[in-house]
Amino acid sequence: MGELGKIHQLIISVAGYKITLNLEVIVMTWIVMAILLLFGYLATRKQGRVPRPLQVIGELFVVQFYGLTEDALDKKMAEKYGPLICALFLFMLLSNWLGIIPHLEEPTKDLNTPLSLGIMGFVIAHYAGIKSKGFKAYAKEYFQPMFFMMPLNVIGELAKIVSISFRLFGNIMGGSIIILVVSHLTYSIILPPLLNAFFGLFVGTIQAFVFTMLTVVYISVQVK
Amino acid sequence: MTWDTQTLIHVAAYAGGGIAMGLGAMGAAIGEGYTAAQANLAVSRNPKISGDLFKNMLVGQAVAESASIFALVIAILLLFMDSGASGLIKASALLGAGICMGCGAIGSGVGSGFPGGQACLGIARQPAVTTRITTNMLIGSAVCQTPAIFSMVVALMLIFMDFSHNAFYPGWAALIGAGLSTGLAAIGSGYGGGMAAGACCEGIARQPDSVGNATTTMLVGQAVSQTPAIFGLLVSFILMFKTFPESPALSASMALLGAGISMGFGGIGPGIGNGMAAEGAVRWVSRRLDHAGELMRIMLVGQAVSQSTAIYAMVISLVLIFVV
Repeated sequence: MGELGKIHQLIISVAGYKITLNLEVIVMTWIVMAILLLFGYLATRKQGRVPRPLQVIGELFVVQFYGLTEDALDKKMAEKYGPLICALFLFMLLSNWLGIIPHLEEPTKDLNTPLSLGIMGFVIAHYAGIKSKGFKAYAKEYFQPMFFMMPLNVIGELAKIVSISFRLFGNIMGGSIIILVVSHLTYSIILPPLLNAFFGLFVGTIQAFVFTMLTVVYISVQVK
Repeated sequence: MTWDTQTLIHVAAYAGGGIAMGLGAMGAAIGEGYTAAQANLAVSRNPKISGDLFKNMLVGQAVAESASIFALVIAILLLFMDSGASGLIKASALLGAGICMGCGAIGSGVGSGFPGGQACLGIARQPAVTTRITTNMLIGSAVCQTPAIFSMVVALMLIFMDFSHNAFYPGWAALIGAGLSTGLAAIGSGYGGGMAAGACCEGIARQPDSVGNATTTMLVGQAVSQTPAIFGLLVSFILMFKTFPESPALSASMALLGAGISMGFGGIGPGIGNGMAAEGAVRWVSRRLDHAGELMRIMLVGQAVSQSTAIYAMVISLVLIFVV
């Protein structure tokens, strides 16, 4: 049980500053990226009118997510942000599923991954807002309904990053802790596969979807 | 009578176990009762499919029960695990674990009764889409369990992590505060998530074509109503992982306890309020499919406003932890 809450780190000190690398997370993220690149390559390699199985999966997926993006934004914006949304979902989905394979761990289990994805979404949403409304109209919204509400509005915006990234992190890390503890207590009999199916496949899918949808909706709130 | 450390740890473990199961039994029972009540209503509306309705009721109740089962697991662990720790600080960790799991199971238990009940009503109204409604009920009530799962995670960490290097003053308050923060904040979030899931089952029964949009809106609405529980989790993590300098002054301990209490109670209302916002949006998405995007956006803005009180609570907690 000693592994609860422990992380393997590589600490390099450069000119007085310490650079901390979480080795497992980096390796796992690379694995996820490699699988995604491979999937993208195989799915688009021989495109044809009669699609091959991988192309069908890819097409179904892209159509679905373009539709969702179009519902929240409009057609023109969807063309711009659709690829981002698809990539975000695929990356998180695979990251959350990776933990069901023994010896591999979810990169999303480390707060750094969800947090950086959350900050990315936040920056993109605000960029889109400034671009579509102009800086003046954008800045004016912080002084609604009264000018002294400004600090609270800013905190409210920043709290969105906390909530979106901790939601993913809490679910995935919580799942892996429960799997670890329950497997340990039951001597890994019967329960672990079921727990992995629930926390890895089901919760992982839902949380990846929720994160993606929230990013889309945050963009649409800023734009409209 | 002498109170040595080992006795105190056992006392805390038994008290924690009692609190975990006692409070944890409340929510699920209420939720299951609601499901059964709606199932009766459904059977009297459409007696021909009473077999299906009965089956659906039992499945819904089984899912609603899971919050209580989490509490049972934690209670059994607290009663029978020999933690082997020697520091007195373990006693407060175990008590905190019990409080956390007990409170945390209330909201999810009550909340996951709503989708079960509304699914029974929906099936009675629209038997042709039974599968869709049941699937939706299962997804909705499983997502509803997230706050209870958060509480279970904090409880497990409190039970199994080694806190012996922390100073007892003010460490005891930090650990009980960690339990209170997630446990109490999970009440509102669990309840609110259930309201959204229930409205989704109803909406699909009214308008079976709306299943995609309604489910998306439900998931986003539930996720946002879980935000207070997530803030609670954040405060708990800070309280558990930060090492506080030893200080015998009572004010240092009380600040940490206060941080937990502030975030915990502050999270209850926003969780329920966000759930109400989500419920309204989901219910109307299925009736006005053409305005689904607009409804979701307004829901999100409304939830953000209703969430601001949870953010105030979090700000006060963080001030209590880092400044005072």
